Amino acid sequence: MNWFGFILAQCLNALSQASILFFIACGLTLIFGIMRIVNFAHGVIFMLGAYVGYTANVVTGSFLVSLVVAPVVVGLVGMAFERTLLRHLYGRRDGGAYLLLTFGLAVVLSEVIRLIWGVQPLGTGIPDFLRGVVIILDQPFPLYRLFLIGLGVAAAIAIWQFLERARPGLLIRAVSQNSEMVHALGTDVDMVRTAVFGFGCALAAVGGVLAAPLVTAFLGMGTSVVIDAFVIVIIGGMGSFLGSIIGSVLVAFVQVMGAYYFQDLALALMYLLMLLVLIIRPGGLLGKED
Amino acid sequence: MNWRLGFVVTAAACAVLPLVVPQHSLTILVEALILGLFAMSLDLLVGYCRLYSFGHAAAYGLGAYSYALILTYVPLPLPVGILLAVAVTILIAIPIAWICTRSTGVSFAMLTLAFAQLGYAMLFRFRDVTGGSDGLVGIPRHPGPLGIDWFQSKLGYYYLVLVCLLGSYLLCRAIVRSPFGAVLAGIRENEPKTIALGYNTRAYKITTVVLAYGFGGLAGALYAAFAGFASPELFFWLTSGRVLIMVIVGGAGTLIGPILGGVSFVFLEHQLSQVTDLWPLIFGTIFMAFVMFAPQGIWGILTSRFRSKPAAPNSDSGKEAPGAAT
Repeated sequence: MNWFGFILAQCLNALSQASILFFIACGLTLIFGIMRIVNFAHGVIFMLGAYVGYTANVVTGSFLVSLVVAPVVVGLVGMAFERTLLRHLYGRRDGGAYLLLTFGLAVVLSEVIRLIWGVQPLGTGIPDFLRGVVIILDQPFPLYRLFLIGLGVAAAIAIWQFLERARPGLLIRAVSQNSEMVHALGTDVDMVRTAVFGFGCALAAVGGVLAAPLVTAFLGMGTSVVIDAFVIVIIGGMGSFLGSIIGSVLVAFVQVMGAYYFQDLALALMYLLMLLVLIIRPGGLLGKED
Repeated sequence: MNWRLGFVVTAAACAVLPLVVPQHSLTILVEALILGLFAMSLDLLVGYCRLYSFGHAAAYGLGAYSYALILTYVPLPLPVGILLAVAVTILIAIPIAWICTRSTGVSFAMLTLAFAQLGYAMLFRFRDVTGGSDGLVGIPRHPGPLGIDWFQSKLGYYYLVLVCLLGSYLLCRAIVRSPFGAVLAGIRENEPKTIALGYNTRAYKITTVVLAYGFGGLAGALYAAFAGFASPELFFWLTSGRVLIMVIVGGAGTLIGPILGGVSFVFLEHQLSQVTDLWPLIFGTIFMAFVMFAPQGIWGILTSRFRSKPAAPNSDSGKEAPGAAT
């Protein structure tokens, strides 16, 4: 028994899990950082991504096409929600209204999904070209999980570069710091907000499409994931992009290692981690104290 | 407005109600009152401190499981069992309140949710004690003390729940109208200012969270004793979500509103879930509509209409959210 290879496989496993979590948590933290909106519907948006991806996969027969179609569709749904409903709450003094409205959206959207796709779990299956197994230090490791890690890392770098270097990224950061000033300088701040909300939802949809082959698309997949995502964002610090990466990796490691070594406590470990972080730093690892 | 008269009339109407409805409706009436009490307990947090708890199911579940576990091992009379369950809930709530009130807003919502989910997870972890996904069944309602047994019948239990609800309402009303309640309103409206005035707002918030858990635990214990079982559902986040909906739709910060919200939720659910499986879609939509267009809730709408007639300024110390007037 090659224990080193085994540990490595576990770590890779955790990293692939972190990759899916990152897509969800990153969208959540971007939306919060820029709009001060807590999107409780983010888990259901993730689920919607998985279901739309399933249908796109069935229609076109291509996993890669579904990986493009689902985020676009879900992003548009998110933008429509922001434009028609969420926008009207911006003047409210009470930030809790966002939490409540998006919670309502979560309830409604998951029912709509149930009506369209039914209650049966829908398995997409791993696409053929990613079905293989790679031998790493005598341990077999699924190629699909390596693909997830690669995609996650690539997306993290791309988003980071986009926020730091590109002009739209600059605008987004500016809006998060002082939206009135950006507005006064002639930028359509409303458009930026809509775009950010849509972008965040699209990222969650990518996560949904990627998770579907592993867990199948089922009703309720959004619930556990939204709590995971919130735990990540709270651990990393609300609104911190880097924090969402760190949080995703931490939570994924706790989940994977916990499921293996402390089976009984696996469910509780993540919450204990969050409690620990919040007791030490109430604002999260990279967040500001509030 | 003469609230005493209103209270007595409502109490009398509730007391007569089970005598005029058919026997089988009694179950729904009892459940409606229990959920009304549960929703009112959350209102202490949402309406008076603006602390959005997404895990109030923890209070309900703690109350229910405490009662169930106590009664599994010790054959205590029902009132004693319920009081003990409330005491256990309050004891467990103290550390939870201490940790949760370290943060506000979203973090508070998520921390409360995390504790509820932690409780949910613990039910499966200690399945030998809690019964895991099967829950605990066959929870008795023992008679006593002094041989009192009227609450063993369904009708008698209805009156027990009614007394608990009315008593809790009077207690909560007294709390929110006391100087303590005034500080809570201060926290809700402007916490930094309240701190600057020299109040230790954290202590007030901890007390309120513990109180809310206590009343929620009472509702949970009453439910477990009535239904005769406790299932993990009670701890699940959907339970928290539903009670939050009841509070908002009924009217946060009014105590009566959430009771109305809880009661009407149970009736609507019972009626509509027989006719259509679209019920969750309907209540989700109703909830969103209330958040968007009527954040003051049903009771808020009713009272603001009532008040905007002739002028009786400051008749009720103006605790409601700004309604129709100005």
